[in-house]
Amino acid sequence: MTSSIFMHPAALFIVGALLLPLFKKFNAQKIWLVVVPLLAFLQIRYLPQSFGVVEWLGFKLQFGRVDQLTMVFLHVFTLMALIGSIFGLHVKESGQHIAAWLYVAGSLGTTLAGDYLTVFIFWELMAFASVFLVWYRKKKRSIEAGFRYLLVHTFGGLVLLGGIFLRYQNGHDLSFELIAPDAAGLAEYLIMIGFMLNAAVPPIHAWLPDAYPEATVTGAVFMCAFTTKTAVYVLARGFAGFEALAILGAIMTLYGVGYAVIENDARRILAYHIVSQVGYMVCGVGIGTEMAINGACAHAYAHILYKALLFMGVGSVLEMTGRSKLNELGGLYKYMPLSMIFTVIGGIAISGFPLTSGFVSKSMIIAAAGNNHQLILMLMLSLAAVGTFLSVGIKLPYFIWFGPKDSGLQPKEACWNMQLGMFMAAFMCIFLGVYPDYLYNMLPYAVDYHPYSSYHLTETFHLLGFTGLGFYIMVKYLKPHDVSNLDLDWFYRRGAGWFMWLARNPIHAVNEWVSNVYQTVGLRFTMAAARALSWFDWEGIDWALDGSAKGFIKGGEQVRQFQTGKLQHYIGAAVGLLFLVLIVVVLI
Amino acid sequence: MIVHVITYLRERPAMLKWLFMAYLAFALVFDFFADRHHAHFWGDNIIGFWAIFGLIGCLLMIVFCKGLSHVWLERDTDYYDK
Repeated sequence: MTSSIFMHPAALFIVGALLLPLFKKFNAQKIWLVVVPLLAFLQIRYLPQSFGVVEWLGFKLQFGRVDQLTMVFLHVFTLMALIGSIFGLHVKESGQHIAAWLYVAGSLGTTLAGDYLTVFIFWELMAFASVFLVWYRKKKRSIEAGFRYLLVHTFGGLVLLGGIFLRYQNGHDLSFELIAPDAAGLAEYLIMIGFMLNAAVPPIHAWLPDAYPEATVTGAVFMCAFTTKTAVYVLARGFAGFEALAILGAIMTLYGVGYAVIENDARRILAYHIVSQVGYMVCGVGIGTEMAINGACAHAYAHILYKALLFMGVGSVLEMTGRSKLNELGGLYKYMPLSMIFTVIGGIAISGFPLTSGFVSKSMIIAAAGNNHQLILMLMLSLAAVGTFLSVGIKLPYFIWFGPKDSGLQPKEACWNMQLGMFMAAFMCIFLGVYPDYLYNMLPYAVDYHPYSSYHLTETFHLLGFTGLGFYIMVKYLKPHDVSNLDLDWFYRRGAGWFMWLARNPIHAVNEWVSNVYQTVGLRFTMAAARALSWFDWEGIDWALDGSAKGFIKGGEQVRQFQTGKLQHYIGAAVGLLFLVLIVVVLI
Repeated sequence: MIVHVITYLRERPAMLKWLFMAYLAFALVFDFFADRHHAHFWGDNIIGFWAIFGLIGCLLMIVFCKGLSHVWLERDTDYYDK
């Protein structure tokens, strides 16, 4: 297939984004919004194994490297770009679509990159494009959240870049390959931390639940899919088998789900739940066995679709009612039944019901932990699955669509393209659950795992059923209130406040004092010193210089009077001098 | 159509409760017949282990997280704007 015509998928989206205003001018924006992602999705199978190798300033850049691991992510990223673009068709502002596509381009470029410099370029494109998806909401909170998002990602990018520089200094090799855990030094760990920031690994995760709930409705659908999963890809590519990742991943699953249980804003619940779900993938990458890597990739694939579906469902409610807080919602099933069905499908898929995608993907990672005799990890992941069903499988749909109270809202059903986007994602959730081989055949390693064993079924029946019972018993304690919970972003949000206070108060006061002291004492001292110097210049230096100049002139005049030009005088003087010397010599 | 079905069910909470209990009973009975030769650890060999794990895990998670939220983490939504 090397002779086939193809275009780098990232270039396709960048060109597509730049041409979008032109198509808008001719009223063809909606067509273009479908054509470009569809083309990208269809052409990925024709990509050669290696392309776009460029020598630049002595660096070898590789823009295209395709293998099984790349393929599964490319497949779901381009599919998601198509679903997201369809979901956002009704948005007229070209800017939002352009930002979304540049963001997708960054993600695809990173996935295809064969060296760290290329990774870094597209990594930064992702951060800078996606922040516009937050800013386009145009509310004060969104703008502030966007700046925080950008600052945190700039910091992460710098850590990554520092690691890349150090790695180049150590080995003069920037190719992006798997690193063995015992060969990793400072450079490799800096790169890993840069990647982990985008994967939202605690304690550097707070940017995610801070920014995503403030993004636009369609922006959040894109953001929930790309940043964290691109980070999972680069971790799987470079850092598979690092035990720290396995432990941090398992902690992530519980950390995220814990916040999802207590939060009130639906999009904040989903954002925290991304942390939890990405935890499974990070844990799978950290375990590092073939089955675990397969599980991480499969889960990334499945997760992108059902989490986007949930964001689309909740986004539809936000679009139609202007609300996303659970305490202000309830009873909407009568008015938005289709959105309700799609969201519930997303909810049961994320919880891992049989016949949905979560059932065939999440269990792979848990089973990989079990096969690797990592019992504690396995139990942590299973507990997180309980929390997932509790928070996103039951609590979220219950308080939005049904609920103990009717909110009194009577919204219309979301527009056709939003429903089509949700339908496509919901279809994939069920399709992958019913026909898991479609997903398993894409995975990097051969799959020897059968999700529909009787034991896995009974385990799932029990976990889900009795979690449901727990919800039933405790439902009155879970009633949502209009509050939000502190997280580690407190340190930099409050910290920035303190920094500004320090700058405004003590530092400013010290600055004022120093400048006062300078004006009163320093300035006078300077003036006095200047006067003294001026006096010295006038009286000392000038006197000395003038004096010596006068001396020269006088001396020259006297010498001139000696030089009469008459030879007899010179001879007389020389004889006299000789006579003088003789007297001195003889006498002594 | 689906709206009518849900409204019908919501008006009959007792029936829903019994359906749910019947499902839980089915799950427990099903566990006796599950094939266990792929057990990962001792818990996999106990009938109903994951039922207890699910129930206790769910209750503890609600109590722990809600408790932590109430005593420590909970703030007004405009906390950072003040």
